[in-house]
Amino acid sequence: MNVTNVTNFKVISRRVGDVAVLYPQGYLNNIAGENLVRECNICLEREIRKVVLNFSETDFINSIGISMLLGITEKLKDSGGTLCFTNLSKAYIDTFEMLGLARYMHIFPGENEAMRFLTGINPS
Amino acid sequence: MPFNTIPIKDFVGRESELGYLKRFAGLRENAIAGNILLEGGRGLGKTELIKQAYRIIFLEEKNIVPFYYLFQRGTLKAAHFAKDYFTRFVRQYLAYLKKDPDFIDAMGTSLTRLIPVLASLRVEWMIDLIEDFQEQVKSGDLYGQILAAISAPVTAARKSGRPVFIMLDDFHMATQLYETSPGDVPGLISLFESSMKTYLCPHVLTGSPEGVLETIFTDNSFRGKAERMFLGQLPEDIAYSLFKSYCDKLEIKGDKKIVLKFLRVLGGNPLYIRNMVRTLWKMQRRDITERDLWESYSFEVSEGETEFYWSSIMGEFIMDAGQRRTGIELLMHSIKSNSEFHGTERLAKILGIPESSVISVIVALQLAGIIQGGDKIRHLKDNVLQDFIQSLYMREVEGINTQRIQELIEAKYSSMSGNVSSSFEMVIPMASDAELVAAKAIEQIGRNINLAPDVINHLQLALIESCINAMEHSGSYDKKVFLKFNVSTERIEIIIESPGKMFDVEAVEVLTVEEKFRSEHKRGWGLKLMRTIMDEVRVDRIGDRTRVILIKNIKRNEVAG
Repeated sequence: MNVTNVTNFKVISRRVGDVAVLYPQGYLNNIAGENLVRECNICLEREIRKVVLNFSETDFINSIGISMLLGITEKLKDSGGTLCFTNLSKAYIDTFEMLGLARYMHIFPGENEAMRFLTGINPS
Repeated sequence: MPFNTIPIKDFVGRESELGYLKRFAGLRENAIAGNILLEGGRGLGKTELIKQAYRIIFLEEKNIVPFYYLFQRGTLKAAHFAKDYFTRFVRQYLAYLKKDPDFIDAMGTSLTRLIPVLASLRVEWMIDLIEDFQEQVKSGDLYGQILAAISAPVTAARKSGRPVFIMLDDFHMATQLYETSPGDVPGLISLFESSMKTYLCPHVLTGSPEGVLETIFTDNSFRGKAERMFLGQLPEDIAYSLFKSYCDKLEIKGDKKIVLKFLRVLGGNPLYIRNMVRTLWKMQRRDITERDLWESYSFEVSEGETEFYWSSIMGEFIMDAGQRRTGIELLMHSIKSNSEFHGTERLAKILGIPESSVISVIVALQLAGIIQGGDKIRHLKDNVLQDFIQSLYMREVEGINTQRIQELIEAKYSSMSGNVSSSFEMVIPMASDAELVAAKAIEQIGRNINLAPDVINHLQLALIESCINAMEHSGSYDKKVFLKFNVSTERIEIIIESPGKMFDVEAVEVLTVEEKFRSEHKRGWGLKLMRTIMDEVRVDRIGDRTRVILIKNIKRNEVAG
């Protein structure tokens, strides 16, 4: 498990088979967003093209953070990969839907559902 | 006329704008500022604001001469305008020198009779100006008269070394100046260009129909010579203070929670607030109930001073009876469909009249400030104006009598109920993550009124965005963001103010999600996010600050169990 810490923001990551699960913690703003982008780039460099972002420990995502998430989504898609979002609070799911972003995202209630979608295997 | 103002202690909620206008003349003298374009809807107090500024400058400033001029339909003929403008300037200048406001209104005294007074004050150059103007009138040189009138304040400023602060009220009317018949010489307004360029003569120009002043300033001669200042609605707490100050004078009492609910319908409009209190007094209501408020309201919009105000404006811009009916039907159609006007071709089919008639009525309604112009023509989001139009429609189109109209308007509002309210203020620095402190504050405020956690989260997101905008767009050395939360169990109003540069909403590029995905520039979600979450987002320029107002109306299902 890796831990990257920028001011009040941390990204913890772990690898499950060919899937990387990232846990952004704290406030996802511009600085933190760049950090998260870097983490995703590392995944791509390591040929990991299935990424789960678990937001269970994310306090807030501001509009700059949202734009960073769009960038990551696009980059993974262009690389033939898939990005899944899990454990988003209802407020964020509503917001992504209202902004028209949800249809471009794979959003799941929890990590297990996302893993099943990515691997076709029921995680134990 | 410019001294015909309400007492300064009753002029609440516009302190920062007034302070800015007072400081503005000095800034201009030092070539720091340009002219001010004061915009805002009807009844929001633009005239009162510049008159208050006039009075203060007149009484307190030793080295700045204020000049106020109101453009009116009756003096749009160029020769009349020139004489009126010049005469008023001379009188106001003299009144300032004598520190005697009586000279301003002494319109019966001829200019020639003022000459001895001017001589006693040793302002011979003003006597020269009068003689020159009279010479132009004698020779029948119309352009000479207009130029002499418009340039009189400039000459006075140059000769005396004292700046003249020129306040031109309803300046958009100057687009209609004419020589012998309306529309014969378009463009006379451009003769103001030279005056506006003079650093010793700062101008404040007002105009009601939003966008009309801006249209004038698309003219090359004016472009770049003015900054915009918006006069928005009064925030809820200030509107209440104003209402209460009028009520206190007339010994009217009322429960705050009921009054606040009522004031929301008036939309923070000082004119409506004053009219409603007067009506309560005329109806001899002293200890007001909710029913009293709606009774006075229904009276006001159907036959009171507010009805008279809007009827006069409609009458001024639409004189033909047929056009008036078309206007009423067109506005009613817009209210009913709760949307933008459809294209003129479709409207013509709906109303069964030629498209040219629809177009001319729309233009008149735009000039009257009843509908907004621009690419999309919309009716104003003004409850009182809408109720006035509905009442007009019921009376003139449907033939319903006034008593029944008032009953229907009362019924529309009387089921509403009041609620507890409170207000919080805080200042955050323009520093990294400071917006999270504001987010924490709104979280606790939301908990206090038992808001559902998801709703609190939404409010936090919108507030964070507004704070970030304030920090990113300000560019000010005063690195602070001022926040105010006006809260009731039915509504939350958040006011975010930041000094420095204006956050220009119009400049925000609107891209679709698809375009954002394709674009390198993926940012720019803030305003959309705020508008998506909140019921209303308003951006105003208040003096040297940008004010963003976020409003959330709380629905029953948004309150925790």
